[in-house]
Amino acid sequence: MQDDCILKVEHLTKSFKLPLKQQKLEGGNKIKVAVNDLSFTAFKGEIFGLLGPNGAGKTTTLRILATLIRPDGGDAFIDGVSVVSNPYGVRGKIGFLTSELKLEDFFTPNYLFDFFSELHSVPHDVRDERKRTLFARFGIDKFAEVKLANLSTGMKQKVSIVVSVVHDPGFIIFDEPTNGLDVLTAKTVTDYLAELRAAGKSIILSTHIFSLAEKLCDRVGVIVDGRLVALDTLAALTAQKSLEDKFFDLYSEAVGGRA
Amino acid sequence: MKAVLAIIKKEFARFFRDKRMVLTTILMPGLLIYVVYSAIGAITQSMVEDSAQPVVYVQNMPQSLETVLESVLEVREQTVSDEEAKEQIINGDIDALVIFPQNFDGLTVSQNVPEVSIYYYSANTTSSSAYSVVVSVLNSYEQQIANIFDINAAQDVQYDLADSRSVSAYVLSMVVPMVLIMLMLSGCISVVLESIAGEKERGTIATLLVTPVKRSHLAVGKILSLSAIAVLSGVSSFVGLILSLPALMSGSGVEFTLAAYGALDYIGIFLVVISTVLIFVGLLAIVSAYAKSTKEANGLIAPVMILAMVCALCSMFITSPSIGLYFIPVLNSTLCIAALMAGTFAVMPFVITMCVNIVFAALLSVLLGVMFNSEKIMFNK
Repeated sequence: MQDDCILKVEHLTKSFKLPLKQQKLEGGNKIKVAVNDLSFTAFKGEIFGLLGPNGAGKTTTLRILATLIRPDGGDAFIDGVSVVSNPYGVRGKIGFLTSELKLEDFFTPNYLFDFFSELHSVPHDVRDERKRTLFARFGIDKFAEVKLANLSTGMKQKVSIVVSVVHDPGFIIFDEPTNGLDVLTAKTVTDYLAELRAAGKSIILSTHIFSLAEKLCDRVGVIVDGRLVALDTLAALTAQKSLEDKFFDLYSEAVGGRA
Repeated sequence: MKAVLAIIKKEFARFFRDKRMVLTTILMPGLLIYVVYSAIGAITQSMVEDSAQPVVYVQNMPQSLETVLESVLEVREQTVSDEEAKEQIINGDIDALVIFPQNFDGLTVSQNVPEVSIYYYSANTTSSSAYSVVVSVLNSYEQQIANIFDINAAQDVQYDLADSRSVSAYVLSMVVPMVLIMLMLSGCISVVLESIAGEKERGTIATLLVTPVKRSHLAVGKILSLSAIAVLSGVSSFVGLILSLPALMSGSGVEFTLAAYGALDYIGIFLVVISTVLIFVGLLAIVSAYAKSTKEANGLIAPVMILAMVCALCSMFITSPSIGLYFIPVLNSTLCIAALMAGTFAVMPFVITMCVNIVFAALLSVLLGVMFNSEKIMFNK
């Protein structure tokens, strides 16, 4: 295990206000705690997986790390930069990929690559070189001048990935990387993540697909109801049984213990 | 600064590379206004020219009125009974039946009050115009025979000291602020809602929020680029309107001379327009950023539209505005435009207007930047 820590999450907490009617249903509870005192560390050059059922708080956690939303309490440091006190500093270091962030349909992959390079202040020669490599890697060169509106879901996802790494970030946040993709495109994506790791990048991804976690992740944090219930290397977690069975144990423990 | 430029470039690319958008936002409004107004002008003109002389029956035509009446009406010999004549009026065969008492001239001289009957059909344009022609001829004749004093009777004196330039300046100072404000607003609405509420709805603005671009730069870039596009749209409508005015007003007797204004006037108007568009874009951008969708934004902009309308209307009624009014954004713009059109331009109010508007627009862009920073606003679903 590497000693360099790239991500340090400390007592992260985030809650949302419930609608009035829901408050009554929940017996006067005004808020829903999405992330509850979450702490963990991820290291340089590893793929860290956040595993949990739908609604466990994975997406909220990643959004906080990507500085799209602010935590109510706690902090997270990416490469030593706080997401709370220096979000601009964090944004230059990360690549964030999620199906919620869309690209404008009207533009071509080529235009979008240049536009986002400009926003990240990437010098032109570096940009052109990077574009050539990435477009070739994902086969985008074949449709570089086709408007996004006319591309398939898989092609769009590839363009999204490429655009999110125009500035060659050291830390990549990936929310549900293979959701809604066919097996071929999904494989391109997972292969690319492995390549990034090989190139020394650090990745945190969230997923509810165990096979994906088993295939890719070095270490896994399991969250249930906004709380971290397990954190270990994949090898340690799957020492006795499959990740899926292990998860069921953890889940019933967490939910049973609370009820 | 580089980021602001990148945002502006992207907004321009989004707009100008889309032929349909350029067509509907910039070319269409001006062209439509020009075509429609010119057509209206042509139609009213042809109505004025084509109106045929009304056909009337006149019984006991007095000598004193014969020449006048026959010059404006076609007087036909009555060969039918009065009842049949009335029937003909209803059917539109003739337009009026005028019955003078016998010896009308003698009666008027002897201070008797003779009665004239005019039968007409008010649901027919020619018939009612026949009626009013006869009435006005009779009225002026009545004044002539019971003459106590004359008003503006000399033939060779020009009593209305306003030349056609000042008349058109007056009319334009009433009409132009109102029309300009509405045109600017509609130009802004069409581009701003799409670019901010639309981008929010489609999730493309969030992609920009994870880049290291400052929120304030994003807000400024959006406001500047959208304002430029909105100004183009407004200019297009304005040019269409101005070019169609001579045709539109040709039937009204007021001669429009745009040469009454110099280059400075037009530059002044243009500057006021730009500062106002900045405010509109800022206001609409804030409403759009708050709305969850373009549809919702369309509903929420109603107050902005009403305020703009009120300001535009106010400029018609406030003839000598106090200097304080120039500190109210938008209202000051309409007052400035009105003053420029009326030829009563003064430097101080103009300077105040520009400063107030630019400061106000800057505040709006700061507010927009703050909104872009708020997760509650940008990510509420």
